Amino acid sequence: MQNIDDTRKDLLARIAVSDAPRELLKVPELKQLYDVIKTLAPEERGAYGKQINELKLLLESAITERESSLEDLAVESIDISAPWDVNGRPLNLLPTEQGTQHPLTLELENVINIFTRMGFEAIESRQIDDDDHMFATLNFPANHPARDGYDTFRTEENFIPPAHTSTMQNRILKAGKSKLEAGGQIASISYGRVFRNEDIDATHEHTFYQCEGIFVSSTATLGQMLGTLRSFFETYYGQSLKIKTQPAYFPFVEPGLEFAIEKPAALGGKPGEWLEMLGCGMIHPNVLSMAGIDPQKYRGFAWGGGIERLVMLKYGIEDIRHFESGKLQFLRKFYE
Amino acid sequence: MIISLNWLKKFTDIDMPVEELATLIGARLVEIESITNLGEKYKDVLVVKVVSAEKLEGSDHLNVTKIDDGGVTANLERDKDGLIQVVCGAPNIKAGQLVAWLPPDSIVPETFAKAEPFKLGIRNLRGTISNGMIASSRELALSDEHEGILELDGDIKPGTSFAKTYELDDYLLDIENKSLTHRPDCFGIVGFAREVAAISGKQFKTPDWLVDLTADFSGDQTASQLDVSVDDSELCSRYLAIVMSDANGSKKSPLHIQTYLSRVGVRPISAVVDVTNYLMMLTGQPLHAFDYDKLVSLNAGKAEIHVRAGRDKEKLELLDGRTIELTTDDIVIASGETAIGLAGAMGGLNTVIDDNTKKIIVESATFNLYKLRSTQMRHGIFSEAITRFTKGQPAELSAPVLSAAVHLMNKWADAQTLSKVAEAYPGKNDRPTINISQALINDTLGDDIDMTKITKTLGNAEFEIETKDTTATIKVPYWRADIHINEDIVEEVGRLNGFDNINPTLPGRNFTAIMPSDFDGFRSKVRKIMARTGVNEVLTYSFVHGDVLNKVGQKVENSYRIVNSISPDLQYYRQTLTPSLLGLINPNIRQGYDNFALFEINKTHRRQDGLTDENVPVETDMLALVIADKNKPAGAPYYQARRIFDYLCACFGLELDYQTIDDKLDESLMAPFEYRRSAKVVDKSNGSLIGLVGEYKRSVAHNFKLPDNAAGFEIDMKALFEIIKTKSNNYKPISRYPSSERDICFQVSSDTAYGQIIEALNDALKNAPVETSILPIDIYQAEAGKTKNITIRVKLVSHDHTLTSEEVTNTIESVIKVVATATDATVI
Repeated sequence: MQNIDDTRKDLLARIAVSDAPRELLKVPELKQLYDVIKTLAPEERGAYGKQINELKLLLESAITERESSLEDLAVESIDISAPWDVNGRPLNLLPTEQGTQHPLTLELENVINIFTRMGFEAIESRQIDDDDHMFATLNFPANHPARDGYDTFRTEENFIPPAHTSTMQNRILKAGKSKLEAGGQIASISYGRVFRNEDIDATHEHTFYQCEGIFVSSTATLGQMLGTLRSFFETYYGQSLKIKTQPAYFPFVEPGLEFAIEKPAALGGKPGEWLEMLGCGMIHPNVLSMAGIDPQKYRGFAWGGGIERLVMLKYGIEDIRHFESGKLQFLRKFYE
Repeated sequence: MIISLNWLKKFTDIDMPVEELATLIGARLVEIESITNLGEKYKDVLVVKVVSAEKLEGSDHLNVTKIDDGGVTANLERDKDGLIQVVCGAPNIKAGQLVAWLPPDSIVPETFAKAEPFKLGIRNLRGTISNGMIASSRELALSDEHEGILELDGDIKPGTSFAKTYELDDYLLDIENKSLTHRPDCFGIVGFAREVAAISGKQFKTPDWLVDLTADFSGDQTASQLDVSVDDSELCSRYLAIVMSDANGSKKSPLHIQTYLSRVGVRPISAVVDVTNYLMMLTGQPLHAFDYDKLVSLNAGKAEIHVRAGRDKEKLELLDGRTIELTTDDIVIASGETAIGLAGAMGGLNTVIDDNTKKIIVESATFNLYKLRSTQMRHGIFSEAITRFTKGQPAELSAPVLSAAVHLMNKWADAQTLSKVAEAYPGKNDRPTINISQALINDTLGDDIDMTKITKTLGNAEFEIETKDTTATIKVPYWRADIHINEDIVEEVGRLNGFDNINPTLPGRNFTAIMPSDFDGFRSKVRKIMARTGVNEVLTYSFVHGDVLNKVGQKVENSYRIVNSISPDLQYYRQTLTPSLLGLINPNIRQGYDNFALFEINKTHRRQDGLTDENVPVETDMLALVIADKNKPAGAPYYQARRIFDYLCACFGLELDYQTIDDKLDESLMAPFEYRRSAKVVDKSNGSLIGLVGEYKRSVAHNFKLPDNAAGFEIDMKALFEIIKTKSNNYKPISRYPSSERDICFQVSSDTAYGQIIEALNDALKNAPVETSILPIDIYQAEAGKTKNITIRVKLVSHDHTLTSEEVTNTIESVIKVVATATDATVI
């Protein structure tokens, strides 16, 4: 069996003189050391694995050190205050016709635009949050089984990459409380990037975008929620639409519904074809209470849905993984 | 979860077609993912009688049988008595049996809808004709039993359809469980049937035995002693158990019951096990059984069941052979001091029922659903039972179900009751009563439902209602553990009547215009400007592999680390956007794109930035760009990146300062950049850092396989936005008089920065009596020359007269003098 000490000495010596030290992490000697793990008895694996990890960390730091000493070798500085290089010419921008905006940000702007015109403020959601905003203030007690559905990532510190844009609900409600008590209404959407810890395929992504809305007043009704959502989709698709719902369970609403529209003609829809667009419901009284709003006096509704689905339907995009692929082949198909 | 339509029909009348029912359930209860026509699978199977069975000559195991199909099968060869010949290899075939026969041309149900369905025919076995086949339980897709053919019970006329006989002419509804997380009642057929009745406007009637909460147990109740105790109602609100005898493992449950279990996905095993599964499927209440003798042997011969919290380091070997280490959050069933089961999840191996079992203890209990859920996650246990327990089955349910279990074990397995029911009920709760007004229901839904309809709607689902004028007092049935508050009743009324019958309206609002937030508007503008410069916007993941951080030299400890990612590519929050973009350059070059730039606007997170007032990590909105060209660079690529950023700033009327990097900058931001070929972008007014423009370190270029011609920038969007917000309009009226231009060529030492000339020039022009502007024309340096020539065009214009040649010359000369003094320049 190969000796860890010898490998360490040998590799450290090679890193010290290499021009491309990081390449040395790929040498077969290291791989062989890793392969040994499989051949060990389970009780020996832990200790051996730890040694290997220590070796790897040591090599990494030697590589970083070598890389920075390589940097110190002759690198010519430039006159960063000049508009172009010595003996150069004024520079052109890239051809303007090849520039594009990402289809998801384009569509988000579109959605925000419609809701803004309907009187909703738009607030971007956070990309790292805590259990309180992800679950507790949304009426998910600790260990509630409904938490399972969200497949949340977690950090060492127990922060959560949000699995829905509803992380903003408590903040929006708290901020809007005074407006409500002055006889006004809370009307807001929150939008942004959310995360689910799941395998990706053509229809699943661990990273995607959502848009969420909340409306609170002293007279809000479920009928108003249906009307608001229908009105949004009718504006978005530029035609009148049939809608239908299905009971659903989300702890932060009561009642909770799934909302579907009849597939619009613009998307090649035929009567009787339905598209499930989002989840919605009347805000649970506990959620209002937790934001300091009296559920006896005020009621509200909320909804939330994905942006990718809108874009995929609009353009007929076949694979959700394209969005975060950074492929120019894909990106250059979209324009204003 | 699979729901059998025929099973539902035993509890409520269903007269609509299955598709219509599925639509109704979808609109008023839960999404149905698919409907399976089970009848198709069994459509050709017939019940037949084996009239004779004789050994096939020359075979040691085959029998030639003559079967009576009641004459219903056409086009088959029959003997003089009208019987059909089938060769059968099963050891248990006997004349006089009723069996299931698969005629020629039928598909073996076990292989139905599989990739290669097996179609039967007429075969010739050693010169003997065999028509189709007599089926085993496994071939009928009813159980794993394949030792012999399935013998049917009862008095069935030969030639009867097998599907009809066992009600397999059924439809199976596949239910989306997630939406019923809060509905323990719907995880039993009775509860689901109640909903089906109520949403179709029919009165439901729960079977009497499920409503009778005082369980009745027959048999000798004194033969065995049994005690149960529960430490804390927070662990278990109710625990019931009883001892039964002669729980013979070889006894089977009625075939009829077996077919119901198997169609909803439960494997029939033995009568005792089938009783527990059957009742769980029917009511949602799981049951468990322990071996009595094993249990008492662990506790010096005493039958005492103790429900307690797990102990630290305590071990338990489960039925599936795994040994787990318990925690104080687990609920444990113990005999004396020894753990014998992980409550609600799985029994222990030390009390498992086997062929030698004489007496059993049947458990019917209600455990804390939150604790069970954490147990489920911690130990990775996913079963039909824990799925139901974690929905929160009501404590009341445990008694009638135990009573039914005792009754069925007696009926199907001849088991006798040997003890009184031992009970601990520390978590007894009264059923809630809810007072609700008609107005609240209608105001919340936005509907107009009268009291009679409200009463009828809830009454159909067996809510007990008393009304007075427009107020209802509602007693919640015990199985609706999910109903606590007024809003729950509002939902019931809306849902059972159909939310789709509510008229959509729009909220009344004041006419207040809403502007998109300033920052949102700014960000949209930046996106459009960047696209206009020929750059492509990308979105990349917020998380990166640790290798990516290493490759740019960012310290992993500056990243928030994800601890439970299923993919190694998602280990750390990224500290800046640049590394994500660098990873996209080489793949796009390989796709044939030679000269392009990518940008992203997104949030970044760094541990060194600390937390906000809300105690969540600080987020920074960044804009990053990378421009790459496969071709040889014409000058340093730095200038290409800066050109784009200059343009962006120009679009907002902004000119920022570029400064050399001589001090340590933010380590995450700086990491990928080569400091000798990068510049800080600084707000002129207060010197604050906005970001960086520059080329990348050689190691970074190497690690990401970047072309030589690559550079970029990373800018703090909020900082940029703050500067733009304070920027005032700098419009000046246009002069009516012609302007004059002069090109000045300054010769300076080659290490004098262009910026020094410009700074001196601007200083000098500030005092000029006329309006001025400057434009760079040329930067020239001879090969190995010690000096360079910088040519600047100065434009002068007056607002009150045409400048004379002398005025122009005087101004230019005074300017030259200032610049020459400040920079040692000579003008050539």
